[in-house]
Formats: sequence, C-alpha cells, structure tokens
Amino acid sequence: MNELMIIVEIAGRRCALNAHDVSSVIELGEVTPVPRTPDYIAGITAMRSQSMTVIDCRLALGIDPSPFPTDDRGAVVKVAGYPYALIVDRIDDITTSHAEPGSVSGGFGPEWSRVATGMTETPTGPALLIDLAQLIIGPGKLGQAA
Amino acid sequence: MDELLADFVAETREMLEASAGEIVAWEANPADRARLDTIFRFVHTVKGNCGFFDFPRLAALSHAAEDALSDCRAGRREPDTVLVSAVLAVIDRIVAMVDAIEAGEEFPEGGDDALIASLQPGFVPEVAEEKPASTTHEPASSILEKGEPEDPSAETAAASKADSNPGVQRSIRLPVDLLDRVMSGVSDMVLARNDLAHRLRQAGNQPTIDGPFERLTTILSDVRDAITRMRMQRIETLFSAMPRLVRDLSADLGKQVMIDLEGGDVELDREMIETIRDPLTHIIRNSIDHGIEAPADRLANGKREIGLLSISARQSGNTISIVVSDDGAGLNEERIAAKAVSVGLISAAERDRMSREQLMQLVFQAGFSTAEEVSNVSGRGVGLDVVRDNLEKVGGSIDVSSTPGVGSMFTLKVPLTLSIIAGLTVEVGEQRFAIPQSYIEEIIDSKSKSLDFTRMGETALITFRGNRIPCLTLSDVLQLPGKDVADGEHTMVLLRLASGDLFALAIDRIHQHGDLVVKPLAPAVMQSGVYAGSTLLDDGQPILLLDVTNIAMEYNLISDARTRVLQNAAELAEQQQQEELSRAMLFTDYQGRRSAVRLELVQRIETAQAEAIDISANGKRAVIDGVILPLVGLPEGERPSGKIRFLRMSDGTCELLYAVRQVEDAVDLENSLKPVDDDPLVEAVTLVEGQTVGLLNGHELFSRYGEPPEATTKPTCHLPDTDWARTILGPLVDAAGYEVVTGEAEASDVAIILDDADAQEAPSYGECIRLRSQPDAAEQDDSIYRYDRDGLFDALRRARAGGTR
Repeated sequence: MNELMIIVEIAGRRCALNAHDVSSVIELGEVTPVPRTPDYIAGITAMRSQSMTVIDCRLALGIDPSPFPTDDRGAVVKVAGYPYALIVDRIDDITTSHAEPGSVSGGFGPEWSRVATGMTETPTGPALLIDLAQLIIGPGKLGQAA
Repeated sequence: MDELLADFVAETREMLEASAGEIVAWEANPADRARLDTIFRFVHTVKGNCGFFDFPRLAALSHAAEDALSDCRAGRREPDTVLVSAVLAVIDRIVAMVDAIEAGEEFPEGGDDALIASLQPGFVPEVAEEKPASTTHEPASSILEKGEPEDPSAETAAASKADSNPGVQRSIRLPVDLLDRVMSGVSDMVLARNDLAHRLRQAGNQPTIDGPFERLTTILSDVRDAITRMRMQRIETLFSAMPRLVRDLSADLGKQVMIDLEGGDVELDREMIETIRDPLTHIIRNSIDHGIEAPADRLANGKREIGLLSISARQSGNTISIVVSDDGAGLNEERIAAKAVSVGLISAAERDRMSREQLMQLVFQAGFSTAEEVSNVSGRGVGLDVVRDNLEKVGGSIDVSSTPGVGSMFTLKVPLTLSIIAGLTVEVGEQRFAIPQSYIEEIIDSKSKSLDFTRMGETALITFRGNRIPCLTLSDVLQLPGKDVADGEHTMVLLRLASGDLFALAIDRIHQHGDLVVKPLAPAVMQSGVYAGSTLLDDGQPILLLDVTNIAMEYNLISDARTRVLQNAAELAEQQQQEELSRAMLFTDYQGRRSAVRLELVQRIETAQAEAIDISANGKRAVIDGVILPLVGLPEGERPSGKIRFLRMSDGTCELLYAVRQVEDAVDLENSLKPVDDDPLVEAVTLVEGQTVGLLNGHELFSRYGEPPEATTKPTCHLPDTDWARTILGPLVDAAGYEVVTGEAEASDVAIILDDADAQEAPSYGECIRLRSQPDAAEQDDSIYRYDRDGLFDALRRARAGGTR
C-alpha cells in the first residue's frame, strides 16, 4: 500500500495520520475553553466561520502534557462529520507509507494501544498510525488513572 | 405558471433526459428487460402525475403505454419492433404535450386514438417498409404523421415555443448541500468583511478605500438576503398535499369535508417544512376522524352537511403560526377528563379544580388518546404527545382551544428557521455564552429591591413578585470560578421552560442580543449536556449556546408531565391573586408631590423637549411620535424648559400624557388604600416605604382628559435654500414640530424668510415669519432676530395654532 501520511509528533513520539482524514493544517488562533468537558477538549475555535472542537492529543492519550512543547499549528480532521483541530507537539512532514500497519511484539503501551492502528514504515522511519475515531473519544477511565 | 405544474414539467423532462439513452438502447434490443423496466417506470410516473393534474389526454396515452409494457413485463406479450415504435411515438407525444403545457397553450386535438390503437397487440403499421430497427426515431414519427396528418409540425412548433417563450420562469434543481456550501461561503465573506472593516477603522479615514468598501458591504448584504431566501420554501409545498389527504380520509370515513387553505405564500426554512409535515398531517387526521361529524349528525345539529377544515399560515416576526380549525363537534371535556382520570393522569379531586381550558391541554399528555377504539386513520400509535414533543424539540409549541358543538382549533407555532435563532449573549467569568431568546421571560438586576435572595439548604431561591423561584448560578453550573449570588453583583435572567416551569439564572453581565447562526457541536462536547450548539460572534470568535432545558433537567427543575398541567393551574390561580395585589408606578410630579399611578395604565415613559408642548385655551397638548396627546400634570401658567418626562397612559382606546419631574420605581401597593375626597384626581392615599403617596384616579383622569390619539402629519415649514438655514435654522424648526422643506417646494404651511433674501421667490405660504440679521428692529418691523430662539419658537407655535390644524 502506498498512502500519504502526515507525520506528527505527539508526546515526543512519531505518529502518522492518514492524509485523507486531514483536511487542512491551520494556525490555531484563540481557543474558547468549554467548561464541563473533559480536559483533553481544549475548547472550540473557528476556521472560516466553521467552529471546530480543539483536541489536545497528549491529554486525549492520557499523557501528562507538561514536558512537551506544542506547535502553534493544528491538524484539522473530520470524524463522523464533525471537524476537530488536533494540538500536537509538532507537525513534521508529508510522506508515503509503503507497508500495511503491523504490530510490534509487546504492544505499544497501555495509552498508545487504544489509539494505534499499528506501526507503519515510511521513508523517514517508522511511525505509529493513529486511529482518529479512537483518539477523539479521549482517555476515559484510563486517563484518570494515569 | 403554477409552481406545482412547473415541478411536474421539470420532473417529466428530467426523467426523460435520464431515460433517453435507455429508449434508444431498448429500440435496438426490445427483449432487454432492464431497459423495459426503466421505460415502464417513466410512463407509470407520468400517468400518476397527470392524474393528479387532470390532463386526461396525457393520462390516457401513458395509461395505454403502461398497459402494453406491463403485459410485456408479465410475459403475456413479446415486445417487438412494432410495439417499440408505438411506445416511442407515445413518449414523443407526451414530450410535445408537456412542452405545450409549459408554454401554457392548448395541444392540438386528435391523433391520440391512433397512437393508442397502435399499442394494441396485432397492430400492423400500414407503411411496412418503414420499420427497420436500425433507424432510431423514424418509425415513431411515421405513426405520428399517420395519426394526425392535419398537423405534422405540432411537435416541433410546440418545442420551439417552449424555448423561446420568455414568460416562463426557468428553474433548476440543486442539491441542498451545494446551497449550504454557498451559504457558509457567504457567512465567511461577512466575517472577512467585518474583520476588514475593523482594520480600516484602525487605519483611519481613507476615502479611496471607503467608497468601494461601502459598495462591497451593500452587495454582500444583498447576496446574504438572497441566499437566505434560497433556503426558504413556500409552505404551499406542504399545503399542496393536503386536499388529497383530506379527500381520501373523508371518503374512507364516510364524511364530507371541504378544505380551505390560506397563507400558502408564507415562507419557511426547508428543513422546518419537513419537521412540521408529520405533526400537521396528524392534526388533520385527528380533526377529520374525531372532530368533524358524519353528514347525518351534522344535519341533525343544524350544520351544513359538508364540514369545513381550514388551515392557515401566518408569519409574525420570527415565528410562523399555523392554525388548523374545524367546525366539528369540538373537544369533549367530560370525555377527556374521564379518560385522564381513568389512565391516572389526574385524580378526581384534581379534575374538579381544573378549568375547561386546562382539561383540553391534557390531550397533549403522554399516555392519552381520546379515541375509544383505535381506528386506521388517526390511531397509528402516534399520539398528540408525540406531536407536541416533536414541535418542542425545534422550539415550537402547540395548543388547542375548542367550543363544544362549534369546532376546535389547534395552533402550531414554529420558529422560522432551525439554524438562526434570536439569542442573548451573557458573560460569566471572562467567557461569553448565548441563551436562546425564546426561553427568556425577564431580566432583573439583582440589586433591585424586588428581589429577595434566600438559601434553602443548598438550593438558592429568589423571591420575585411574590413567587419563590429556584435560582442557579451559571458559574456554578459550568463549574467556573465565580462570585456568590448573595453579594448582589449579578444579573438574573428569568427563564421559562416549554413545560411552563420558571427558574432564574444568575450571570455576571448581559452583552447583547441578536440573531445567532447555530452550528452543531462535536459529540464529545454535547456529552456534557449543557450546550446546544455553538455560534460565532461578529468578530469570528466562537461561543457556546446553552441548552436551557437540559440544565434545568440536571437540577431537577422540570416537573414531570403529570404535575405539569396541575402546576400551571396553580400558577394561574396564584397569578390571579397576584393581580389583585396591585402594582403602581411611583413618581414625583411638578408640584413636588410623591404620587403613584396604577402600573396597568402606564404604557411607557416618554421624554420630549418642552417645545413639543402646545398650550391653548382648552388645555395642553404635546406631540409625541407624530401623535397629539392631551397633557396633564403641568402647573398652570408656568412653562417648563428643557427636557420633560411624561408617563404615557392608556385605557385601551384613549391616551394621555402625565408630566412628571422624576420617575422613581414600580412598587407593590401592599398597604391599605385610604380614599380621599379633597382632590378628584387622587383616588386614595397609601403608604409606600413609610411615606404617604397619592394614588391617581385613573377613571377621573381619563374621563376628564382622555382622548383617542390623533395622528398628525407634521406641518411643513419652508426654509430659504442657504447653508445657514439648513444647518442652524433647520434643526430648530424640526424641534418645534415642523417638517422642513426647501427649494422650489409647493405650498407649505409656514415659511421663514430672511430679510436679506429676495421676498419675491416665495411661493404661496400659509404664514410668513421674517427673520432679520440685526438684533435691533426697525420701526414697524414684525420680524424676529435670527438668533432669538424663544421669539422664533413662539412665532412658530402661533403659526401652528393659527393654522387650520
């Protein structure tokens, strides 16, 4: 399989997002916080008069975000018809993956296994392919424990 | 042309275009089953549609073709080239007829029978050599020509006319998705424009840019209006199916019903039309099934045999109300009550306390259905409670009123669109939120004395107009840091839920209200249960729209359906009691007395310049908003200056103004009223906050001074066409209650002439006021110094009093 991947860094790890799912990369402007929602929902922001939910990927994984810097750009993805902007450490590159995502013996660790489709090989090295639908569900109980 | 007809023509053409290829393919291979099906569907649809429109010839043709084709489909007949030719000829004829319909002209008579005959099995075309299957449409036209030798060019003539006829409004069909994209694009443009406007203001005045920018703004708002209208649809599209529905239903039930539709041109958002389709249908079914009686019963009751069902739509502001009324038997309150008691909605004791109106609203409660037995018409497992729920979901409402034996009337109210609602923006902490306007009953400043704050356990209560109302603090609801309600820094928004329950929401500040374009939120955000959507402020910043019903539900502020009606009854009784305790407007009059007047009489508080007052022998008058009203309350002989405040009072027909020095507050008249005799205008004296206050006698006031308001056209005053007159004199004349005219105007009531101007130019004036430029007057000069404001006002007033008015 030859698919376009967007390589991002989340919590210091190389991750891949399927480029089909990413509609654009935007400068994250002002984010309006949304009270009474889980931590990983950073708020809502507007792009071209469309409001979207901003997700902090590190918190969505249930990882403490403090040691990691963030990119001021966010990747806009559409899941089940709703737009989301993803806050990541860094948006790296666009590349092609050549192999089906595979698993790694020993798994990816409890936080990552939930959101990972598998490991995918790219010319710039391996990356963890992220399942967006799982990512935006948030850490749930697991996150609270971590 | 009729909109429905245009739809029919458009639909027929569309199907034909889609099946044009199929027709050719079928001709090449008559045994092809898939092609046969497509063509069968086409003639079948045409047949169905033209039966609806009463086109007997079209119906006969398509019916014959359908019969022949269905024989083929059922295997009773082998499709051969003769049949194919005949069917194609029929289709061509249908197209020609549709063209004629669109152009609004008669299709030439004759020829149909020959075409229909050619469809019969065993038909042998006379021109046998003209049927090779390789040519496409030749066989078809051969039959056509044979059938109607007198008019071989009818087809082409009609077709060319349809193309060249300018009177026909062309329409195209578009996917709604595309419309939505255009709409959101225009919204983006508006936001970009606002941003640009902001930057331009910062950069200062730039005439070269401001002009084109103004134009852009105008164009953009035009486009926005047009786009909004594109999403609107006439309610006619919904109404058009009703006559048929009513006809079928009444035939099924053996009743005779006439339908009367009104207000079909009211426009409504497409989605909203779909939303109300089912509720409306349900109510109509209900009216015919249970409302309108059988013809014999109607005659026995002295009514016309034919029942009347009328449906009318009306727009008022942002709401559309649709009224469905019938002249049937009306709702039977006894049966409703008996049923409600038997299913346990209310107890017998409660029933006795309820009025007829309240009993009738029970039909909207869940678990209620008056039909003794489930009929196949309205008993479809969907009750009026579902209708009500569906309407409330989109912010609408329904209620019923009925007179036994005369009929009943259902009123549906729905908002104009789903996506644009009126809302109030409020602030709490540093953040803004929006509340739908429809919930807001009243806004109260918590510093106001009428608000009494108490805490019962953990629940906060405020007392407002004698009612204890639960109070939520928005910062608590949203778990934001906020101040305690008790410190009185908040503003209270009273919210009335669709169920009738009332609660107060404490917020920090009110911002603005206006139309909000509501966008959906992601499921993860919706899960919190306190938001209904998001909307963008003018500067493009997104804010959240609060879900008032859900918040109330979370705090158990919604009474369940069982107690709802009862509570409303109790509340009504309470309100009646409340009304007995009168409220009054407290003020200080021009004699310095503290007085009060019953609040019901006060319409509003007006402010006007003293110049608007006119004192004549038979009383004082003042002009407010172009209406002359009698004026009371000013001391005799004294002419106040500057701005004057009035209470504008009304008894329903008559109005008057009461001049007051200071308006204080609205108060409850809690203490007893002590009647007084010395002043006829004072009804009684009472104590308000420990001080005596005279309560004005409304009856006496209106019997002496009340007059129906008399609209005036302002008298006109002609001014010389100079800069000085326009900029300095104009506003003054305007303030004196005149309409300013300049230039070569025709006759005006009064004219002002400058002494340095040529008096000859003046046309016919009722009265002339001459102004001089020197302060000192010459002898025998009745002119006024141009800066003598009082003198000028006096002259203008005299001129008005002296005129015919």
